[in-house]
Amino acid sequence: MSDVPAALPAGPSWFAGDAERHLLDAPKHCPHCGGRLAGHAGLVVEYWVADDRVFYCWCQACDWTGTVIQVERHVGHEAAG
Amino acid sequence: MLTAEQNAELTRVGPGTPMGELLRRYWYPVAFTRQLDQFPVRRVRLLGEDWALYRTSDGGYGVVEEHCPHRRASLAYGVVEADGIRCGYHGWLFGRDGTCLDQPAEMDKTSFKDRVRARAGRAEELGGMVWVYVGPEPAPLPPRYDVYVMDGVRDFGHALLPCNWLQIMENAVDPHHVEWLHGRYFEFLGNRLGFEAPKSFQRRHIKVAFDEFEHGIIKRRLLEGHTEADDDWAIGHPLVFPYCMRVGGAGIDQMQIRVPVDDTTTWFVLYTVHAPEGARFEPQEAIPDYELPWRDEQGNHIVDYVEGQDIMAWVTQGPITDRTVEHLGKSDVGIAMLRKQFKQQLAAVAAGRDPIAVVRDPAANQRIDLPCEKNKFGAGADFALQWMNLGFTRYSPQLKDLLRLHTDAAEARAAAVGADV
Repeated sequence: MSDVPAALPAGPSWFAGDAERHLLDAPKHCPHCGGRLAGHAGLVVEYWVADDRVFYCWCQACDWTGTVIQVERHVGHEAAG
Repeated sequence: MLTAEQNAELTRVGPGTPMGELLRRYWYPVAFTRQLDQFPVRRVRLLGEDWALYRTSDGGYGVVEEHCPHRRASLAYGVVEADGIRCGYHGWLFGRDGTCLDQPAEMDKTSFKDRVRARAGRAEELGGMVWVYVGPEPAPLPPRYDVYVMDGVRDFGHALLPCNWLQIMENAVDPHHVEWLHGRYFEFLGNRLGFEAPKSFQRRHIKVAFDEFEHGIIKRRLLEGHTEADDDWAIGHPLVFPYCMRVGGAGIDQMQIRVPVDDTTTWFVLYTVHAPEGARFEPQEAIPDYELPWRDEQGNHIVDYVEGQDIMAWVTQGPITDRTVEHLGKSDVGIAMLRKQFKQQLAAVAAGRDPIAVVRDPAANQRIDLPCEKNKFGAGADFALQWMNLGFTRYSPQLKDLLRLHTDAAEARAAAVGADV
């Protein structure tokens, strides 16, 4: 299986059967200190907000907690309602 | 979504596992005091290991590994003596610290018994339950959380569930499930089966929030029609790390206890204290404990009461939830935070530090008050009656007395208001 994130399928086809692929493009290093997040060194939990894939990250090395969002398209203000 | 390795790290509780090492830093209730009063020794299972729990004639408690170091017979079938437990097979006697005190069939002058020791933990009574600690010394104190030490009428419902404790704990940081599992689904059942489901559980969640604190995570919800001044948001209630949830309202205070028995078994205890304002109650001679039915004769889940619905949601995830194929949304951020909290505390133990919610200061342990709503879901005093009639308390042998306690208290409060006017 390819380990190139760009090869991930888009849209609705990427659920359960593609779980392993999802893990491939999860952040692997802490945005704050560069420490490893993969394996047992930290934690990355992926969740979805509309079309956005959000990675909730915790770094064991520096205790940084935050979210990383994979962006397909930058959207500015949207009209309320 | 987690990797299979991460899921295993967070869910395996046996000896030698990272989570097992973390969880062994805490005290756990493993029996009701009543059970040891009726018969002074019983087998208990905790964190994947079996133990013999006993009560000596002076009222003290002890806990030793179940299998005798001599020939491995069960000490749960031993003879309880003043200074420990004697194996029923050949009479070897072990003190509360596991020291071998007697080997009656051996030579008097042998040093053999000095070289044999049973693994022993610590055991104490608190609030009508017997608690054990099986981790490294020095042992912390059994935490005297408010519910365990407050005055009131106690009521213990419980069930042994075939699933890992973590999926139950993740439910404790999942406020939205109330609106659906205990709201919409309950209403659906009521419409089909001919009963009225509680309206207060059906309110829509406008937003939820989670705050880490020294004993776990405080969960808040803003419900439709409410403001941030309402109890559900302003106070909330906590997940108490690593295996409890404090909940309550309308004169009912409860600790939901989820003891990790082993990787795929959890002892679920609803430790409940009824103390509505204005109530008058006598000291209890005995605290009722009763097993909750959660499957019917056909093997289907019993889902027409609140906790039965929760149990359905926990158990049907499987013995250990497969988190490699889950799909979390933003409403699940509390679950992500809980996993992070477990990871942080795993790291603390690996570094030789105490994890959170380990209590060592006796002065701070007189009574540990936890934040918890009083006016739950904005339902006022009605919440207590709804919770009892449509929750696990319907199985309580003292249900009628508890209902009367709350209605009498409501009348006393109303009379007091009238007198003031």
